[in-house]
Amino acid sequence: MKVVANLSLCQGHARCEDICPEVFSTDAIEGKVVIEQPEFPAELEDKVRLAVRNCPEGALRIAKAVAA
Amino acid sequence: MNAPYFPGPHDHVPEHLIVDFDFFHIPEGVSDPTEIWHGLVKHGAPPIFYTPRNGGHWVFLRYPDIVEAYRNHEQFSTYQSPVPPMAQYPVLQPNGVDPPQHDVFRKILAPLFTPLAVRRMTDGLQHRAERLISGFADKGRCDFIKEYASQFPTSTFLELFGLAEDRLPEFLRISDTFFRSTDTDVRAANMVEIYEVLEGLFREKERNPGKDIASTVVQARDAEGNAYPWIDILNCGFLLFVAGLDTVTNTMAYVWRYLATSRDARQKFRDRLDDPAAFMVAIEELMRINAVSSIYRRVTHDVTFKGVQFRQNDRVVLPNTVANRDGAVFKDPQTIDLDRPVNNHVTFGVGPHRCIGSHLAKREIMISLQEWLRQIPDFELDPAEQPSIFGGPVMGFETLKLRW
Repeated sequence: MKVVANLSLCQGHARCEDICPEVFSTDAIEGKVVIEQPEFPAELEDKVRLAVRNCPEGALRIAKAVAA
Repeated sequence: MNAPYFPGPHDHVPEHLIVDFDFFHIPEGVSDPTEIWHGLVKHGAPPIFYTPRNGGHWVFLRYPDIVEAYRNHEQFSTYQSPVPPMAQYPVLQPNGVDPPQHDVFRKILAPLFTPLAVRRMTDGLQHRAERLISGFADKGRCDFIKEYASQFPTSTFLELFGLAEDRLPEFLRISDTFFRSTDTDVRAANMVEIYEVLEGLFREKERNPGKDIASTVVQARDAEGNAYPWIDILNCGFLLFVAGLDTVTNTMAYVWRYLATSRDARQKFRDRLDDPAAFMVAIEELMRINAVSSIYRRVTHDVTFKGVQFRQNDRVVLPNTVANRDGAVFKDPQTIDLDRPVNNHVTFGVGPHRCIGSHLAKREIMISLQEWLRQIPDFELDPAEQPSIFGGPVMGFETLKLRW
């Protein structure tokens, strides 16, 4: 499993970072999401899904890791 | 009424979409200004309706419509959008312009308000909160607005702008007039004073730059190395002044007012004092339920949106408090659930104009509440004192007396 961000949608709310800092952070220039661990470990799946659902811009989604 | 960008007559609005609603007016007996908005939903107002009050404007009541208006800046612009319409309203930078122009000042400000930048402010915020609260903790009572909620964000503003702390009374006075005065002449003189203060501030920072926001803005250069127009710099300062003071003050007032009436909520927050992540989840819910701002947009061209006909320059008001309690989006929307797992509130807006100071605002509130609960773990509303409230684009309280 892999989490991906659409940076043209991201507006830097950073709700993902609040919920799952293991996987998400925000850059220091524009304040947009940085995905530190795109292929996150299984034990973080619930937190990552919660972060995805909490994005006010709908900028995050979970994809199958095999997909390019 | 023929100034540029002023809305025209409302002969395109069908009778069944007209509701007589004045969001500046709080009727007798209402104790919470957000009730006037929720009353509209309760009494079955159309989800998109028009009121002839305040120069005439539309109101959106559904979350998806409000979100769409925020995102679609080509149709719903911030440029020259005030309600009621004003002939010479300053073009705030970057909030008063849309992309791509918007990106210029947004990019200058963005690094100053990232989560990382705001985390670096923690010690200063903590220190100020501690000092302010310990100044009255022994008294057993306070006017929360006067003694804390207006002082804290204003002194934060002074620090961020590299201004001396002894200017606090001056800034409290000019911001109080700006946000509360209804006298046209007083307001006009106040605007002149604010711009004089900003002029002096930016000139000083131009000569003696520091590491503060005002210095960053005044020293910013475009790709060719040129300074930005002076009026844009002043208007950026003005935006930071208007955006970060009253909003934080009144959100705090709502939060403290709620905690003063809920022993259970106070307990839950006290239990989370050593768990910042859980504390933030609970703050996020109080941000949802206590959205104090309603935002303006101007329709850029004649258009039919959701089956409703809009004319160019029509005004639209987007009440965040209504979006945040839309039952189609939030489970049990009226319930305050301090563990709410999914919470896509729009208290800070969404889309390109999302509040750039959201991380700072939340940190100001979180640190204030943590420090308050350490020094004043229990408190209540003073039953002898009726809070005095107001409506408008930022709703809130003129006074809020607490005791403990």
